[in-house]
Amino acid sequence: MTKQQLIGRTVHWLLTALVIVYLITGFGITEFRIVEPLTFGLLTKSLAQRIHISLEIPFIVLLVLHIWLLPLVRRFKLKH
Amino acid sequence: MRKAITRRPVLFIALAVMLVAIVAFGIGNTCCQPEGLAPVEVREYEGVDLSSINDFRENSIKGPQEVDVETYTLEITGLVTNPTEYTYDEVLNRYQHYEKVVTLDCVEGWSVTILWEGVLVGELMAEAEPLANAEVVIFHAYDGYTTSLPVKYVMDNDILMAYKMNDVVLPPKRGFPFQLVAESKWGYKWIKWITEIELSDDASYRGYWESRGYSNSADLDESFFGD
Repeated sequence: MTKQQLIGRTVHWLLTALVIVYLITGFGITEFRIVEPLTFGLLTKSLAQRIHISLEIPFIVLLVLHIWLLPLVRRFKLKH
Repeated sequence: MRKAITRRPVLFIALAVMLVAIVAFGIGNTCCQPEGLAPVEVREYEGVDLSSINDFRENSIKGPQEVDVETYTLEITGLVTNPTEYTYDEVLNRYQHYEKVVTLDCVEGWSVTILWEGVLVGELMAEAEPLANAEVVIFHAYDGYTTSLPVKYVMDNDILMAYKMNDVVLPPKRGFPFQLVAESKWGYKWIKWITEIELSDDASYRGYWESRGYSNSADLDESFFGD
């Protein structure tokens, strides 16, 4: 596995994990009456909201990397 | 064959007579008796576009509450000289009614602009004569939800306890009989189904969401997390 592939895969898996957490915390905010008992009171509405808000920027960064990282690296390599 | 031909017009006439009779009976039964129509909400007030009653997201702690107006009472308790208790009609009949267009901003990210009609919490409290050491107003709801606001904020800002929104009596899911219009505060201060207004000197009191990580001041120009 090359370095590029390793970075690409890491970004993809991180983004997958982040999307899942993003979705769960989103439900934790809007459907707190269901999510809180399901998580045995661990994921409260306020905790879900704090996590959800803190994930906004990492989500955008990872999404941008996911879309443009490999094409940019390839273009960079072709130029040099 | 001849018989069948002559019977057909008779059948048509009979059917037509029956149809006319049914329509006439239907009109007679409905046209002259008053029918209760669904209330119509206003969507524009003095040039301001209003949201709909249905634009809210239902996010109360135990779901919509059905309060029986026949047995309902509103209590003013705590640090007051005259603890009082009102029925729904007493609140509506004894106090001046006010209207105000105020926007509710929820921490979930949505907001609604509504024409609220209600009575002033300050006037209700004044009749109970708050004691000098009363600092905080604690609101209790039918579903066990609580929230609090400083006495000064309630008195200085003409805070309404609404019984109508967009000219329609509050539906049960919107907080019938009364919802607080806590303007310039985040939505979790807008308590619905109010049953008790308690005056207290406990400045550190925290309501349902405030004790679960949300700001106690809940000012719209600040984060809803913190203090």
